[in-house]
Amino acid sequence: MQEACSQLYKLVSDELANVIQTRLNPDLVCEVRIRNGAPIAVRYDGAPYYACKSGITRDIDAAIVAGAREAEAVVLRACEHSLYTVSDTIKRGFISVSGGVRIGVCGSGVVSDGRILAVKDYSSVNIRVPHEVRGCAAGLAGRIIDKASVHNTLIVSPPGAGKTTILRDLCRTVSERGLCVLLCDEKYEIAAAVGGAPTLDVGRCTDVMSGTDKKSAFESAIANMRPDVIMTDELFGADAASVARAATCGIAVVATAHARDTDDLRRKPEFKEILDMRVFTRFAVLRDAPHRGITVFDGEGRAA
Amino acid sequence: MTGKILIVALCAAVGTFVGFAVLCSYRRNLEYLDGVCGLISELKRNMAYRRDAAASVLASYDTKNAHLKKNIGEYMAFVGAKDGKLDISRGFLPPRTHSGVCELFASLGGADGGAQQRELEAFGATFEELRAKAAQKSAKYGALAVKLGFLFGLGVGILTL
Repeated sequence: MQEACSQLYKLVSDELANVIQTRLNPDLVCEVRIRNGAPIAVRYDGAPYYACKSGITRDIDAAIVAGAREAEAVVLRACEHSLYTVSDTIKRGFISVSGGVRIGVCGSGVVSDGRILAVKDYSSVNIRVPHEVRGCAAGLAGRIIDKASVHNTLIVSPPGAGKTTILRDLCRTVSERGLCVLLCDEKYEIAAAVGGAPTLDVGRCTDVMSGTDKKSAFESAIANMRPDVIMTDELFGADAASVARAATCGIAVVATAHARDTDDLRRKPEFKEILDMRVFTRFAVLRDAPHRGITVFDGEGRAA
Repeated sequence: MTGKILIVALCAAVGTFVGFAVLCSYRRNLEYLDGVCGLISELKRNMAYRRDAAASVLASYDTKNAHLKKNIGEYMAFVGAKDGKLDISRGFLPPRTHSGVCELFASLGGADGGAQQRELEAFGATFEELRAKAAQKSAKYGALAVKLGFLFGLGVGILTL
């Protein structure tokens, strides 16, 4: 968490870093949204505000306004002025920074033959700061772990409701029970590994594969690492097929997906097959603030 | 008589010292270019596999040349500063070498992996050429400058008498 905060201070302007350090509790800063020439928005303790000289405000006129090329400055700071280190992920709309900080990036795509070659003229960035809440998945763990096995589980919620935080704590809990967990951390935000070691606690029996796509990670892990459980974040597109394959290899899979609820999930075409196959035997639906909570269903849609 | 010999010896020593200074300037330039070529090789090697940020490759690059160390420090300061401007000091460098080094540092990290590799190849060729010329110049004129300095000093000493 300290690493994430120090990264945040490095990324934003000195003025904003000073406000966060001296006027706010850095542990409660979830997001900093910077748009060129616009007021800087801060998600603080789950609620939206603007950053101002005295901390946070809802008065847009009192907000600190970002510079005309502030988004580009953040991108360059994030990659230490080496765009080639992040060019592939920028095309997919994000940059991962050490400490589990993830930066969403918007700009103009340079497209050739239907392929994005690069992103230029960065217009806005959304800096997301990870939070480690030990014990937040204790209730969920009790409902998806049966003796020495784990149910195939899909954690569902809209963006920003805490899926990654829950998944990280669940990973730690399962790992501490002695099960071998393979964590596929495609965006470096669950374990936030730096130099081959996780900077966030994901448990002592967890192997972390960072930066690789789910298909490659799953294929190599099933063949070489012999995990009991595979955990991964944000299933999208063809990822569901990789999950289905792993689940049919006798390995439990715990994953997350963006959806409001299970009905929303059923409307996604990429999930149709995996839901029809009844791969997942548990669905955990997260509710965001102010009514935070987790509802767990079994594969038949009954409360579990 | 002793005084005259001393004056001649002094002039010859001064001349030799000037020639030696010229030799050292050639060698210093060559040593700097050796360092830059090594740095480019290191960057190319890193780009081919690890693709770390240029700043971390530069930070771990070990060079004996004090001026190259200073230039690397200037680049690191630029990367570390939030609103910095890249300013590479010239020092003893010839204009061609200085402009090349400025272009090299300015190009780092400004493109994707493929383009960066091609740029490094081009810079590598340019600096290898500069190094070959500097090595040739150092070998050809370095020793000559010492000899000429000695002879010039000796001549001046004799003429003074």
